[in-house]
Amino acid sequence: MWIKKLTTPASDPGALSFVLRLTAIIILLRPMGPWWISFLLLGIAVSTLIFPRILHAPATWYVLALLVAGRIIEDWPLADNHIYLLAYWCLAIGLALGSGNVITVLGRSSRLLVGLAFLFAVIWKGVLSPDYLDGRFFRVTYLTDPRFENLTTVVGNFTIDQLAEAREYLKPPSDGALPRLHNTPSFTALVYFSTWWTILIEALCAFFFLVPFRGRFGIARHVLLLTFCVTTYALAPVLGLGLILLTMGLASVDPENHLLRTTYFTAWLLVLAYYMIPWVGFVIDGVGYQWFATAP
Amino acid sequence: MIDEPISSTTRFAAWRVWLPAVLMSAVAIVQIVLAATTNISPWKGGGFGLFSTLDGKLERRVRIFVESPGRSEELEIAPSQKILAERARLFPSDSMLLSLAQAVSRHETEFGRPIDAVTVEVRRTEFSSELAVTDRPLRTLSWNVDQETYNSR
Repeated sequence: MWIKKLTTPASDPGALSFVLRLTAIIILLRPMGPWWISFLLLGIAVSTLIFPRILHAPATWYVLALLVAGRIIEDWPLADNHIYLLAYWCLAIGLALGSGNVITVLGRSSRLLVGLAFLFAVIWKGVLSPDYLDGRFFRVTYLTDPRFENLTTVVGNFTIDQLAEAREYLKPPSDGALPRLHNTPSFTALVYFSTWWTILIEALCAFFFLVPFRGRFGIARHVLLLTFCVTTYALAPVLGLGLILLTMGLASVDPENHLLRTTYFTAWLLVLAYYMIPWVGFVIDGVGYQWFATAP
Repeated sequence: MIDEPISSTTRFAAWRVWLPAVLMSAVAIVQIVLAATTNISPWKGGGFGLFSTLDGKLERRVRIFVESPGRSEELEIAPSQKILAERARLFPSDSMLLSLAQAVSRHETEFGRPIDAVTVEVRRTEFSSELAVTDRPLRTLSWNVDQETYNSR
């Protein structure tokens, strides 16, 4: 209620504009490509936020899709997967805006794109990768990837020295100087949980987004996607992918479902906060480190 | 309603729904085929193989060796060659490795250190199920500067 008191009806962009503007903001948050692509992307994205006619023009989104595709081609294969997803998403928006039933076309497109992204992710993890299901992937990644250092020390109960020792052990080539790789029960549990939780929730997201469920099962897909984003991106700092998935998820919500739309937007802001705020570091520097340091 | 059956929209609108999904599937399938038949990193190429396997940036490295009369050494990657080196690291095809080798040759010539040959090697670190670490060359290309020929393995 207090939001309505602080704002005016004219500031309500509507369900469709809301999704389009969030997409433009994603482009603004992560400038990409060579200077001319980056400039054009930023210029068009800013224009969409200022001029509603540009925001709702199919041509705007076709051009954005082409520019993002240009960024992918320009230094192929360096672009991350979310850049590809952004290109498909801009194309989907352009196609939907040019149709007679924008909300339905965009909602269905977004559902397919989210479902396929998860489907391919599950195929890679469960079928194509030789080192995912046996836990090797997370075990090595948590020990060697600096982005997970805080997680490994806080949840995996590794000390900084033990982590440094493990990294030395895992450096090529192994010289055999270290008798064994340090491990903790907490770390084993973390690896096991990460491995199976990730593939399970991704498989469920793929299933519920690709099958055109309605009613309660239709709501379940949103609960799954929100759970995935809120849990995964707290640990894996992949801002672009998280924001695009949530924006596409939002586009597949019934415009009348204000609660779900608000939840999506809150999750969107939360994923942004995860990226901007080193919250695990706060835990280490604050009570968490003291607790773990004194834990048996 | 968003979840109405597709038959409730026009046929034209259905085409608009499916095009991005078909494009995405095609790119992902090409990436899966490339990963199976070449050495592209599963993390890259639009196939959504990120966070699935130990074959990303951290597990691969590029080494550059140059040779000339009285000189045989390994070089650091120059800042101007970073992007070429990244591309070669994640997709060590002959063309990617050759582009890097030629850039190294040009760079050395510009700085008054002409060379006869450049070898670019992409190595990958692998981990056994017991986490024993091995390091092997994924692909190597040697560029003969004078003859403008190369061989790779």
